[in-house]
Amino acid sequence: MDLITEPLSFAFMQRALYAGLAVSVVCAVIGVFVVQRGLAFIGDGLAHACFGGIAIGLYLGTDVENAVWMAIPFTVLIALGIGFVLRSSHLRGDVATGVFFSFSFALGILFLGLRSAAARPVNVESLLFGSILAVSPEVLNVVLIVSATALVVTLLLWSRLAYAIFDPELAAVSGVPVAALEYLLLGQTAVVIVVAVKTVGIVLVSSFIVIPAAAGRILGTTLARATMLAVAIGAAGAAFGLVASYHLDVPTGATIILTHCACFAVALALSRR
Amino acid sequence: MSDVPVGGGEPQAPTPAWATSLERREHAQKLKQTRPDPGAPRVLDVDHVSIERGGKLIVDDVSFFIPKGEFVCLCGPNGAGKSTLLKAVMGLLEPTRGKVRIGGEPPERARHKVGYVPQRKSYSMDFPARSVELITAAVRGRWPAHVKPEERERARAVLAKVGGEKLLDKPLAGLSGGETQRVFLARALVTEPALVILDEPTAGVDVSGRAELLRLMVEISRSDELAAILVTHNLGAVAHTAERIVYLEAGRLLGWGLPDELLGQSSLTALAFAGTDHARHRDEE
Ligand SMILES: Nc1ncnc2c1ncn2[C@@H]1O[C@H](COP(=O)(O)OP(=O)(O)OP(=O)(O)O)[C@@H](O)[C@H]1O
Ligand SMILES: [Mg+2]
Repeated sequence: MDLITEPLSFAFMQRALYAGLAVSVVCAVIGVFVVQRGLAFIGDGLAHACFGGIAIGLYLGTDVENAVWMAIPFTVLIALGIGFVLRSSHLRGDVATGVFFSFSFALGILFLGLRSAAARPVNVESLLFGSILAVSPEVLNVVLIVSATALVVTLLLWSRLAYAIFDPELAAVSGVPVAALEYLLLGQTAVVIVVAVKTVGIVLVSSFIVIPAAAGRILGTTLARATMLAVAIGAAGAAFGLVASYHLDVPTGATIILTHCACFAVALALSRR
Repeated sequence: MSDVPVGGGEPQAPTPAWATSLERREHAQKLKQTRPDPGAPRVLDVDHVSIERGGKLIVDDVSFFIPKGEFVCLCGPNGAGKSTLLKAVMGLLEPTRGKVRIGGEPPERARHKVGYVPQRKSYSMDFPARSVELITAAVRGRWPAHVKPEERERARAVLAKVGGEKLLDKPLAGLSGGETQRVFLARALVTEPALVILDEPTAGVDVSGRAELLRLMVEISRSDELAAILVTHNLGAVAHTAERIVYLEAGRLLGWGLPDELLGQSSLTALAFAGTDHARHRDEE
């Protein structure tokens, strides 16, 4: 039992656990929808858009800590832009995401280059790989509030979102406001991604969206079951990965994601029996 | 209501050149086309509907109505505007001019009165869904996270009606073309609508399955006093089963009458089978 209680006796580990659980649960629920909608890469795309937003924030004079919050409106705009392109062209989700992803990343690099030489250097590593062990109480509060809000909104709209993603036309015939729901899902995903970038970093955040959802999707025969499995895998992977990384003294975010990947492999093996 | 009078005994007109709406009206007046009784209770009323999309006039001043329980075949070549007109009937798009009434109400307020079998399956094939959920979603207007026993029973009963009882718990992705159509037909019928819209429901179904499905639809329409609009290219097979034919071409209503009258008109039959898939479909029969 000490294996679990010992690491969790530290306050920073407790905060990491709460942040990890919150991010993994909300990403799993949203992930099932975006993966089903053919937007598996949106997590990656929006995380890179977030980088663009951070760079703009830095250019405007904020420090790295607070630039992330400046990135929220920018990333939401990019998400809505992806939604607009999806609706008004015949391009597929990966293409629309790819275009906006490149645009915002290039914009980010441009703005970083525009900063004066005297400006503080940016710790790119913490931005890229996050620092779940360094989550401050303030950041934890933001993570919890954003995750809880997104979770409640998504669960309230779950049955409409599911219908809209199953078949937009049939859902519209049944009176579901398909376009509004799609924009809402994208905008909300953007906010969640930015907050998650703060904890797990740009590179790893999309795994939280894709891997638990994909694993749940493999085993779930209905969308509801797939969602529940994704949540269970996401949360269990976050908790296990955190504790394991403590004992093994290895990077936490990576351990969590490798745990998720292991769950995915097990799900695949189970489904092929 | 149409601006074209009911009936008429004038001799048949030659194949027309559709230049002006006046010419069209004159032509229609010369055709023997028996319209339904204008006083009958109407399930669907399409009243001078025009639809523009992307700056193009796709449906051009179309008027017709469907009385209670009538089985109507909507036909016309590819691109005639059939699907677009039906989208307006379902309230998926607003007509540029004119109005649609379902049981006297605008489509947005009559969703439960219309069942719809789409032309193209636009649903995502990899969505984890079973027939029972698809059918329950039509009842609730939302996707079910959990299907209640009474909802399940309702889905089972309506599937049994279309001869697909054993499909209840099958994943949609694993259904054959004909089975999919049965499930979607059941989905359209489950809300006990007054009007069913079938947009080429037999696409992807083999010849015997097609005849069987058509027979089923006509039977259900008759026994339940259900009005139906069936869109099909396969005029030969359906025309004589339908009570009336509405013929659309280039967005215009060129014919509205009994199957025998319309199929007897060389101009329309020629139009119907010329330069489209019709000949091929007919030959396949
Ligand atoms: N959103 C749109 N914008 C512009 N043009 C459109 C739009 N939707 C449909 N059209 C055009 O309207 C015309 C009628 O299309 P519609 O799908 O209604 O034909 P249809 O009679 O159902 O044909 P089919 O027999 O092939 O199903 C076509 O030429 C199509 O290209
Ligand atoms: Mg069509």
